[in-house]
Amino acid sequence: MAQNRWLATGNFFTTYREEQRIFLTHLDRLLFVGLLVGLFVWPLFLEVGNKYMLVIDNILIAMVAILGLNLLTGFAGLISIGHAAFVGVGAYTVASFSRMLGDTHVLLTHAWPLMILLAGGVGAVVGAFVGLPALRLKHLYLAIATLSFQMIFQWTINFMEFFNQGQTISIGRVSWFSGRVARQEHYLFWYYVCLVIVVISGLAVRNLLRTRYGRCLVAVRDNDRAADAMGMHPGFTKVYAFALSGFFAGVAGALHAYLFRGAGFESFTLHQSISYLAMAIVGGLGTLVGSFFGPTAMIMLDLQVENLSEFFKAQFSAALDLATALRPLTFGLVIVLFLMFEPRGIANWWRIVRSYIKLWPFRY
Amino acid sequence: MKNKKTMFISILLAFLLILAFSSPSMAGETYKIGFSGAITGTTSDVGVPYSKAIEDYCRYVNDDKLLGDDKLECLIRDDGYETEKTKRNFEDFMDEGIVFYLNYSTGSSLAMGKDFDEEKIPTITASYHAGNLAVSNYAFLPIVSYTSQAIALAEYLVANHKGDTAQVAMFIHPSAFGRAPVEDLQKAIAGGLKMDIVEVVEHGKDLDNTAMLQRWMNKKVQYVICQTVQPPVATMLKSAQGLGVIAGTYGEAGKLTFLGLHYAGGPDLVALAGSAAEGFFWTTSYKLMTEGGAGTDAQHALAKRYGRDEATANSQNYTNGVQVIQIAVETMIRAKAKGKKITRQALYEEMLAMNGYNAYYPLTTVGPVTYSKTDRQGVDMLQLYRCQNGVFRPVGLPFAFTAK
Repeated sequence: MAQNRWLATGNFFTTYREEQRIFLTHLDRLLFVGLLVGLFVWPLFLEVGNKYMLVIDNILIAMVAILGLNLLTGFAGLISIGHAAFVGVGAYTVASFSRMLGDTHVLLTHAWPLMILLAGGVGAVVGAFVGLPALRLKHLYLAIATLSFQMIFQWTINFMEFFNQGQTISIGRVSWFSGRVARQEHYLFWYYVCLVIVVISGLAVRNLLRTRYGRCLVAVRDNDRAADAMGMHPGFTKVYAFALSGFFAGVAGALHAYLFRGAGFESFTLHQSISYLAMAIVGGLGTLVGSFFGPTAMIMLDLQVENLSEFFKAQFSAALDLATALRPLTFGLVIVLFLMFEPRGIANWWRIVRSYIKLWPFRY
Repeated sequence: MKNKKTMFISILLAFLLILAFSSPSMAGETYKIGFSGAITGTTSDVGVPYSKAIEDYCRYVNDDKLLGDDKLECLIRDDGYETEKTKRNFEDFMDEGIVFYLNYSTGSSLAMGKDFDEEKIPTITASYHAGNLAVSNYAFLPIVSYTSQAIALAEYLVANHKGDTAQVAMFIHPSAFGRAPVEDLQKAIAGGLKMDIVEVVEHGKDLDNTAMLQRWMNKKVQYVICQTVQPPVATMLKSAQGLGVIAGTYGEAGKLTFLGLHYAGGPDLVALAGSAAEGFFWTTSYKLMTEGGAGTDAQHALAKRYGRDEATANSQNYTNGVQVIQIAVETMIRAKAKGKKITRQALYEEMLAMNGYNAYYPLTTVGPVTYSKTDRQGVDMLQLYRCQNGVFRPVGLPFAFTAK
């Protein structure tokens, strides 16, 4: 019987290869391409202020970072509360070049794609190194080990003269084929760069999860002894999970440094690590789409609460202190509510919505 | 038919009248100023009264029509002392079309200096870090830099010290703000200032500093220069009081004499440290609310008018906030008087012209605000104060001091 690859109703998997397809139908693929086209062309039709472009860019960078954290914590089950430090490693890799060669050196301004990759590479190496304790540690103990890395990172940056003692190390404006990217185009330019990286990273993670290396991550998370008995190497798997996570974090850090035109200590604190973890939880740990939903939800929530605070402040100026307290309060509340009522995160809502509208594998 | 025609003309006339009187051109222009500061988070003890002052003065400008028919709109945003949020706020303000920007933290001022230059927007920072002036031509300090304050204080310390070389410890905020004057002070010592810096301590969030103070006593420290905000200083002073090591008189042997830069002392410190603040030496360019006078009376009236409590009204950080927005408004008044359109460039030019006979006297500072192309530190005068019976009292007269 000929298969209908557009709706695929009535089809059943007959091979593992079929089951591992990224897109089950042509319609899925078309919708994905449509979404991509939409994401690439909307800035040409809609004019958005710099503030919102900065927020959107930040969301995209957080997506790259959360892809890494999700691989580590969601898929491999290794808790990390030092993810901001890994992001910081990427940012400070770029900043170190700026410190040594000057912020307008051609390597930083023209070879920036190379710098972003290099930052990812350094992040991966540091990630693998920090992941070594994972050979012997699990659960809370591993979390404390990653926390230690966060503390060591903060101390190093904050006190070393080379890193400007945590003060911002500036990075010059980059150049593109059309010349130097001016201030007016800065946020739009980095939107496209971040978007391309998010798409490539997303597809890379999706593909990784189809391979045996990806399945190893899940197997080690679910039961490392059983995985070992099945011929997998839990130690190696944990270390490469840290390395992969570090790579994505490093790339995110480099993007952050370029977007903000500098690297400063404040952006990579423990507080930021907790924020990343919150994004992963709210988005949905152990899901690919959760890495996109989490940052979007948390950053937009922060922005909306800020707007609400502004509204309160404008209406009742004496209540200014109360209004500004809304932000930390909502942040905590959202995490608690998600942990209590939707531990599978927004990704689960997405799954439910999809299950309502999908036809596959039945006609009805 | 005739009645209908009359009615139609009457309605049309009434409509035109309403339109004419509600036209924006009759209502004057609206100028926007943006302020991004730490209303929550680190150093919010300073940021809250500072932002309230900006809010109140902005309302006062509009209520009392200081800009005539024109209006002032102040966009006040919390950044939690985070540079990322400050940057976002700044971009928001630029989208809103501000003509003057008030920044807060040292970190963000240093990080965003290039943005100020690219946008050509005059900016006054609450940070008195001399480095702000190096990274941007559009950055202005309201009073002399931390470096100037620290060196002035150190010179006073040395001049009044009896005996061998003065042994000094520095108690600083763990940030660019705290570290700002350390290096310059060390350079001054290398240049001949007769004192030794025994230890530089970047404080944490300690609730007790007994161990640190005992260490200092063992190292024969005689003076402590504080460059941080008031709460950690208050904690340290309480610990010192508990140990009985606070000097009763200046430089008392075997005891510690505490001195502080602008954000380390003042009435806010007394409110936090109580009797432990006795004898604390403090330098700033602001007049104190406890001193009385035209400026301080006006500040009291302003705070009362907009329902602020006594602590806010007396806070020197409220005075700071008032001063920076006063300067911004003054540039607008001057530009308007010259018939200039209020733009960033016009206000920048007015800032640079604020010197000589055009110096600005805000009444709440111990000297005039002066700026020029070569001097972007506002008030070049400092006053030394000492806490006596729970009130900071002037020691001597204001003196001019600007470290080069």
